[in-house]
Amino acid sequence: MWTLVRQESFKLTRRVSTWISTGCLVGIEVLFAFLSRIYPQTFVPANMFESLYFSRPIINFYMIAAAATIITMEFQYGTMKQVLYRRYSRGQILVSKWIAIFLYTLYWYVMSTGIALLMKALLFRHTLSIHQGAGDGMSIFTRGLAISAASFVSLWLLLSMVFLLANLFRNSAAAVSVGIIGYFASNIVTQLLTILIQKWDWAKWNPVTMTLYPSMLARPGYYQPLLRMQGWQMLLGNVVYIAIFLWIGYYVFNKRNV
Amino acid sequence: MSSILSVQNLNKSFGNKHVLHDVSFDLTKGHIVGLVGPNGAGKSTLMKTMLGLFNYDSGSIEVAGEKVTPQKHESLSKVGALIEYPGIYPFLTGWDHLQLFADGDHQLIHIQKIIQQLNMDSFIKRKAKGYSLGMKQKLGIALALVNFPELVILDEPMNGLDPEATKELRDLIISESQRGTTFLISSHILSELQRLAQDLLIIDEGRIVQQTTMHDLLASQGKQTIMLMTNDDKKARQLLKKAKFTTTPDPRVEVVAKSDDTLPQVLRLLVEGGVDILDVTRLEGNLESSLLEVLKQSRIKKKLAAEQAE
Ligand SMILES: Nc1ncnc2c1ncn2[C@@H]1O[C@H](COP(=O)(O)OP(=O)(O)OP(=O)(O)O)[C@@H](O)[C@H]1O
Ligand SMILES: [Mg+2]
Repeated sequence: MWTLVRQESFKLTRRVSTWISTGCLVGIEVLFAFLSRIYPQTFVPANMFESLYFSRPIINFYMIAAAATIITMEFQYGTMKQVLYRRYSRGQILVSKWIAIFLYTLYWYVMSTGIALLMKALLFRHTLSIHQGAGDGMSIFTRGLAISAASFVSLWLLLSMVFLLANLFRNSAAAVSVGIIGYFASNIVTQLLTILIQKWDWAKWNPVTMTLYPSMLARPGYYQPLLRMQGWQMLLGNVVYIAIFLWIGYYVFNKRNV
Repeated sequence: MSSILSVQNLNKSFGNKHVLHDVSFDLTKGHIVGLVGPNGAGKSTLMKTMLGLFNYDSGSIEVAGEKVTPQKHESLSKVGALIEYPGIYPFLTGWDHLQLFADGDHQLIHIQKIIQQLNMDSFIKRKAKGYSLGMKQKLGIALALVNFPELVILDEPMNGLDPEATKELRDLIISESQRGTTFLISSHILSELQRLAQDLLIIDEGRIVQQTTMHDLLASQGKQTIMLMTNDDKKARQLLKKAKFTTTPDPRVEVVAKSDDTLPQVLRLLVEGGVDILDVTRLEGNLESSLLEVLKQSRIKKKLAAEQAE
């Protein structure tokens, strides 16, 4: 299994896009850190730090694309058969791709947090403390981490869906668009969602609600009453949906003709 | 037990289209086996099913005595394959590919050996997106062989190879088979297959029509044809017809030799008839004509059976 994960990671590191996107993300963080330094009224330093200098949405887009292409690229290049007719079972192949993408998500989060800390140290040495309070007894650093953890989880909800679609359609365009639509959908339909939830309580258990998990942590006290959800319920819902989507994807992958 | 691959009563459909019908055969270890049949006969489908890429309706596939299914197929560690066209990542070098698919012991030695045998040094360190058709094909073959497996399955391996590369590949296949590797090769380049394969599996419309050796097939269809070049083909044809020799519909003058003295009889007839003979060639029975004959016979038989059933 680890051989397979290593092979998948090897393919990722050999793709130019991996390094270009890393460069872009660093660039964006640096840019927003400077903006925040120059225009602290518009780009409030504490909030900007918490948002990791705007890197989370970017990470989401990259990861949606990466999760789609790690599957569809094999169909596109005709390499899927070669990957499959080895001693490894189909399940092992798919799981190794999940793990590679999981590690890749970690890579992005660790890197963006590292850059954010670095920027803070370079540009806001005296003006901002990461231990400064951010409400709810959290510091901006711990809140940042909590939001990262929540967005990590809800990103994986999207990714589990993208994996499934990439498997069904073998086409990254379809999988990526649905992933990105899914990402925006939650913010667009929040109003509709809250109306529905006020009317029927059970409606809150739909997957779109779950993608609001990081927003809920970022604005404490705002979403709880609207969605009638507690933090732990959101977490549980996310995990359950991730498991369901991954399982369907696994089932489809095991059954298909290549 | 000596069979490295055993397929029994294999049936495979795509939806309601039945593509493989009760296919059964065994491969003898160390033999080079040709899989031949017309376009759409089911050669690639058969190979893909054996490699666990397709689900199948019924029957069994065993590699070295272990069952192969799409979900589980550990015994495929003994198999290397190239199906239809090589799958290649444009952003990796040839070397990266070999490293990715090398498995088991002595990986580095194996990689270097296969590069040298297929003469790929000049481009192996370059990114594959710049490869020509033949380079990609060579890389695909190298990927099939890099682990020096016990069974190698090749679908149209000569595709796009130049004469030199074709010869290198032929030499490699023969030398590996002498060391005990079994090969299953499908190809439409019958002249090449005739030089390579010892055994033949003939498949048509998803059924194994005949499993035979190359020698037996050529001998059974071993009618010889005599091809003549004369100064007056029209007259030659008339004379031959009058004397009741069997000619072929070929535009050249061709006589089917029924026995050893056909040739002297023909020559005497023509010379006495005043026709000058410029050249004489004997056409040996070849795989192409033999195969076409087998397919024709099997289709006639099938048609008769269908008519009888009505
Ligand atoms: N994925 C698929 N879905 C539906 N039908 C298929 C599929 N793959 C192959 N077939 C059908 O199965 C039959 C056998 O195809 P196959 O590719 O095995 O032929 P082949 O013997 O390899 O032919 P060729 O010499 O042209 O390579 C054909 O009728 C083809 O249309
Ligand atoms: Mg084919």
